[in-house]
Amino acid sequence: MPKFAPYVFKSLWRHRSRTLLTVSGSAVALFVFCFVGSVQRGLARLTKDQAALRTLVVFQENRFCPATSRLPEDYAQMIGQLPGVKQVVPIAVFTNNCRASLEVVVFHGLPPDQLRAVRQLTLRSGSWSDFDTRTDAAVVGQAVAQRRRIQVGDRFTIGDVTVSVVGIFRSAAPAEDSYIYTHLEFLQRARGKNSVGVVTQMDVHLHEGAHPDQVAAAIDARFRHGPVATTTRSKGVFQRDTLADLAELIGLAHWLACACVGFLLALVATTTVMAVQDRIQEHAVLQAIGLRPGRIFRLVLAESILQSLGGAVIGIGAGLALLAWGGLAVGAEGVTIAFRPSLDLALSGAMVAAAAGFLAGLVPGWQAARTEIVLALRQG
Amino acid sequence: MALVEIRKLTRQFRKGGEVITPLQEVSLAIERGEFVSLMGASGSGKSTLLNAVAGIDRPTSGEIVIEGVDITRLSRGALADWRAAHIGYIFQLHNLIPVLTAYENVELPLLLLPLSAAERHKRVEIALEAVHLRDRAHHYPRQLSGGQEQRVGIARAIVAHPTIIVADEPTGDLDADTAEQILGLVQRLNAELGMTLLLVTHDPRVAALAPRQLRLERGRLIEAGGGESRAGGDRHPRSV
Repeated sequence: MPKFAPYVFKSLWRHRSRTLLTVSGSAVALFVFCFVGSVQRGLARLTKDQAALRTLVVFQENRFCPATSRLPEDYAQMIGQLPGVKQVVPIAVFTNNCRASLEVVVFHGLPPDQLRAVRQLTLRSGSWSDFDTRTDAAVVGQAVAQRRRIQVGDRFTIGDVTVSVVGIFRSAAPAEDSYIYTHLEFLQRARGKNSVGVVTQMDVHLHEGAHPDQVAAAIDARFRHGPVATTTRSKGVFQRDTLADLAELIGLAHWLACACVGFLLALVATTTVMAVQDRIQEHAVLQAIGLRPGRIFRLVLAESILQSLGGAVIGIGAGLALLAWGGLAVGAEGVTIAFRPSLDLALSGAMVAAAAGFLAGLVPGWQAARTEIVLALRQG
Repeated sequence: MALVEIRKLTRQFRKGGEVITPLQEVSLAIERGEFVSLMGASGSGKSTLLNAVAGIDRPTSGEIVIEGVDITRLSRGALADWRAAHIGYIFQLHNLIPVLTAYENVELPLLLLPLSAAERHKRVEIALEAVHLRDRAHHYPRQLSGGQEQRVGIARAIVAHPTIIVADEPTGDLDADTAEQILGLVQRLNAELGMTLLLVTHDPRVAALAPRQLRLERGRLIEAGGGESRAGGDRHPRSV
């Protein structure tokens, strides 16, 4: 087959407008496929990650938006005394928008001595010593920094909160690249005097062997009678519940990805059928020269797969570049889903494109291989 | 034993409700190195016979034995392999692949044979030299005249050193001067290179170039002139 590669490439180039349009269509389809795949993977990371299943989030009962959950900070000490609890981290959360948004900014205020212990953050620029010494210091996730063009040394205000940027970090958990971390006390005070001693949620880390559901039930039972009742869930369940509306939309987006594959299949199949119909006589000549029907079939398949994969390279490349450099994320109620590129995403896109190209070439390939030589030559 | 032995070859087509029989129990033997022309009116079955010998059409009954192989018994794939190794086909409309250069068109049949790139290159150069087109090797068919295209078609037909070359009205689409050049070339293939040739034409002047001339009339083969009669069937046309 490699000996016939020039013929395949030149045949595609012969109708370059048609080929380029098909490749463009394939690129658009794979771009959307990649984008949707990235969102789906982002949601799966949030809800199915093992660490998220072994960490509990304590929220005020029947509250969903961070702005409405107000837990006494001293709950942390009480929760810390329950069996199975290893560490409790009180967190104040402030977001500029509780509704679903692509431009959500989420501040997390944590005790500075706990931040580095419970979050896997690596500073790309700036220093932790500045964060420790300045009360209004903030370290900004690389996705937010990219999106909002924030640099170390900048000072910016969102809502009531004005911070000085002392570091840009990347996190092992892609969703955290969309967060801004500050001192807990600073964020409490920034929200007004009423907020001092009040936090939005507690992250509860468990000992090995502790059963998350039992500890969650014990926490809720401890505070059932006040002063503020709690709802405790594993972090994964908390994030899934918080993003339930978005998750439904993302579920629908799955069908959009399927539609893209269908579109790709139809587009490449149409082009390949047209190419075969244009070249009935040519395929007859090739057979007369001695090419086996199976080889003709494979040549047509190669053209079909190449068009599909050519578009895939462009579409996946553009999609991954946007995901890598766009710092895109969608968030709701203080929880964000990060859109991240991955090799896995690129490979699945390429495999889908190759499969669509293969399927699209089957019927035209079979038609070309079954060409009646004498009949086709007479038609010329 | 003759190089080509055709025994009681019959080809029937069904057209609507009617059965057409362009070839009726035709028998023919062609010796190695022979140049045979096959004449006949339109629809007489001459192209059908040529296509059967070339292995691109299957007879309804009868045998075609070439170098001891009955090609009517070969599977579709095996027949394709056999064509690659044994047949050089010169088409009336040259039928070059438009996206390939003259060189690449001539090289096509060699890609099917177990040859090194160097050997392929050597053979293509020789074939193009034989048709005086080495200087046009990297031209595309659209950049060649009709006569040059047909010469590339001839180079493609001879490049794999086939057992037999079949030519279907090779000058049918050319002006008189160009046709004469092409026919000269075809004659040289036989006279100088000793290639076995079966040429189909409806033009008696073209047919006369061959030492052995056959005529197909109403499905029957008649020895029309030239060498000894080895055509089977009656010497005179008979209605089918």
